[in-house]
Amino acid sequence: MFNKSVSTKSPRNLLFLFEILSLFLLLVNQWGNIDKTVYYTWIGLILIVYISNFILNKISSGDNYIFLIVTMLMSIGIIMIYRIDPTLGMKQLLWLSVGIAVFYFTYFIIKYIRGWDNWAPLYIGASYILFLMTFLLGTRKYGAINWINIGGYSFQPSEITKLLLIFIVASYYNKPDMFKKYRFSDYILMGIVYSFIALLFLQKDLGTALIFYGIFLVIQFIYEEKRKLILYNIGLFAAGGSLGYVIFDHVKVRVQTWIDPWTYIDNKGYQITQSLFAIAEGGFFGSGLGLGHPEFIPLAYTDFIFSAICEEMGIFAGIGIIMLFMILVYRGFKIALSQNDKFFRILAIGVSLLFGIQSIIILGGVLKVLPLTGITLPFVSYGGSSILSSFIALGILQVASEDLSYGEEVKSE
Amino acid sequence: MNKENRRIIFILTALCICFAVLIGYMSYFQVFKSENIKANSYNKRLWINEESILRGSIMDRNGNILAYSEEKDGTMQRYYKYGNLYSHIIGYSYREYGKSGLELAYNNQLLNINENSAIDEIINIVAPKTIGNNLELTIDHGIQERARNLLKGKKGSVVAMNPKTGEIYAMVSLPDFNVNSLREDWGTISEDNNSPLLNRATQGLYTPGSVFKVITTAAIMNTPNIETEYECSGSTTINGYNFRDYQNKAHGNLGLSEALIESCNTYFTEKSIAVGEDILRNTAADFMFNSSIPFDLPVKNSSYPKGNLGKTDLAASAIGQGKVLTTPLNMAMVASSIANNGEMVKPILVKNVVSTSGKIIKANRTETLSVAVDSLQANSIKEMMIGVVQKGTGTNASIKNVQVAGKTGTAENPSGKSHAWFIGFAPANDPKIAIAVILEEEGSTGGASAAPIARDLIIYGLNNIKF
Repeated sequence: MFNKSVSTKSPRNLLFLFEILSLFLLLVNQWGNIDKTVYYTWIGLILIVYISNFILNKISSGDNYIFLIVTMLMSIGIIMIYRIDPTLGMKQLLWLSVGIAVFYFTYFIIKYIRGWDNWAPLYIGASYILFLMTFLLGTRKYGAINWINIGGYSFQPSEITKLLLIFIVASYYNKPDMFKKYRFSDYILMGIVYSFIALLFLQKDLGTALIFYGIFLVIQFIYEEKRKLILYNIGLFAAGGSLGYVIFDHVKVRVQTWIDPWTYIDNKGYQITQSLFAIAEGGFFGSGLGLGHPEFIPLAYTDFIFSAICEEMGIFAGIGIIMLFMILVYRGFKIALSQNDKFFRILAIGVSLLFGIQSIIILGGVLKVLPLTGITLPFVSYGGSSILSSFIALGILQVASEDLSYGEEVKSE
Repeated sequence: MNKENRRIIFILTALCICFAVLIGYMSYFQVFKSENIKANSYNKRLWINEESILRGSIMDRNGNILAYSEEKDGTMQRYYKYGNLYSHIIGYSYREYGKSGLELAYNNQLLNINENSAIDEIINIVAPKTIGNNLELTIDHGIQERARNLLKGKKGSVVAMNPKTGEIYAMVSLPDFNVNSLREDWGTISEDNNSPLLNRATQGLYTPGSVFKVITTAAIMNTPNIETEYECSGSTTINGYNFRDYQNKAHGNLGLSEALIESCNTYFTEKSIAVGEDILRNTAADFMFNSSIPFDLPVKNSSYPKGNLGKTDLAASAIGQGKVLTTPLNMAMVASSIANNGEMVKPILVKNVVSTSGKIIKANRTETLSVAVDSLQANSIKEMMIGVVQKGTGTNASIKNVQVAGKTGTAENPSGKSHAWFIGFAPANDPKIAIAVILEEEGSTGGASAAPIARDLIIYGLNNIKF
């Protein structure tokens, strides 16, 4: 359905060039104590990215730019993570490979299985089970209980719940009649979403709570016929937020360090001020790959990866990343606008919102435009569960970008 | 377009605006805020970058090197040649304790860091800077050393400056500390009750006592139709509060001139009522009270009480008691302005910032801060101050063959032991050096203890400074 006359080859080649250049820089930087893993990583990254883009062109008739944008973001991320810690860089490359495999897997599953819009109760049940698991098995990491450990691997259940939320909301608005038989049917969805948000608050996972709220509010804004529900929603958020500020110390701390981190520079404000130092130090052009000090930034490979990139690659690279996200979101919405299947249209909006809101929240956080919440920058930050869920989301978006009218015909029979 | 698509586009626009705001804020941050943020002493990168640059030297007006850096085993070592002598002027630069004094104020110049534009940044990448700029101070090492020796064993401060150009020749604050052994002594220094870290010359706020009468004298001159004659009986009662002269001495019939020369308290307290609080406050403001003095080091503002004063408070202010507080630097500037026909000039400590190739990068020039009094008034006050030294309370400051003008002060303060003050300048007909001396909690009069120190310094200064 997208115009194939525009070649995707030349951006693919540019990406190829970018990777070669930046890996060459890493090589120069580590000259003297280079081990073989550098070469493996180098060749691995280029092959994975190039081949996966190449294959996608052959199998999908949809929008091939979104995958290209994402691999660009991942390349920047991997190069930065590798520069901070080569072991993590290697692992991230592994996650990228797994992520791409998951992307293709998701793509085929979503595309060839029918009836995704009928299983709302399943999604709701699965979400609550995931929350329950978090509380039962969860470990506290950086102040929030949102990680669970299974067989040596830790993952964040909320990454999966984010996607389930999108499915829940999409099924609801695809067939609002499904719920109409119940009393207070209007408030069922709101109740569910707010119970999720409340649970996230208890886990101290404020960033994810904000993402949930954002996705829900926007889809409600687009599809809800009863407009007063949106007002309730906004009112509830304001009330809940104020209540959270009064009740929870961790909310208060976030707001305090947002307004004036410099007073608390020794403890609570340490992270955000180190981030600002790094961004300020980078200037427009950056200190150069390997010449900055991202080791001073706490969590430089996850939450604060953007600050590390700004320090070494400069504000211009930072602006580039923001623009990549902007184009990704733009294309996601464009996909939604041209999709005929309503369920997939809402999924496309949901996924684009996920990428958009999540990146805005964390970028705003590290820049001190918004209060800091510990979430990852999609596709750029280090982290298995974040990458996997983002690639699943991307797979969904890829399916949504295709012409699914065949499915329409099946349904209309 | 249907409702749904319109709403989708609305949301898309909103998200794009959010992204655009982030981009805009980042650019704004980089252009306007990053300089300040980078300079924060908690920024560890500062030290890493700095440690690769050879910090510039600091020298006095005659080219004597006072502080310099050397590379030793790949790290930069800072040496302070005179240990205690410049602890408050030059200060220190230590990774653990941060920076103070000129090391802080002129940090970027000493390191030759100047990243104002993108072009500078590129130049820095291509050819990183390795050597900083040097500072040429207005200080004369000889008089500085002399001043510290004269003050040794006491608490207090001395400021000597050129009344016409504002160049500071000496600025001493005691107790001080040895900058070279700061690491070993930090515990004792930071816990010492005598606050050796405080630069008393610019940051010590003292009750001025009778040296403030110079300002009150100017205020009396500013008051039209005031009766300047007064019969002094040694004490007077204003609004129920009794003001006394030193040792209750009755000065008899006095004019303004004799009152200043004899430092008659009752005279100034009585006259302050006629002057009124507005004129006195405005005159104090002309001498830079309640306003910030621009200087190379941080300066505390002298304060003259604001708001409606009662008659008692007004009378107390007129003799520099009550809530009036001042810094030694400010009082040296008061003396300078009388010496300089009423014009108060900006004090200068750093004469030039000079690059390694000898190019002057930044120079401090003489500026007039305020016209404190007109030149006629300045001349009459000068005559009175000559009288103070010739036949009044300040005779201990008199020098053979050189006419000295001055004013003594003995300031009562909460400690119970009075501060001894002397301000003055010489030679009176062509002033070359103006001076303020304060001995904190000295317990004797300014004439007895502060005036001789000023005298010795003036003699030394006139003979040795290259003006």
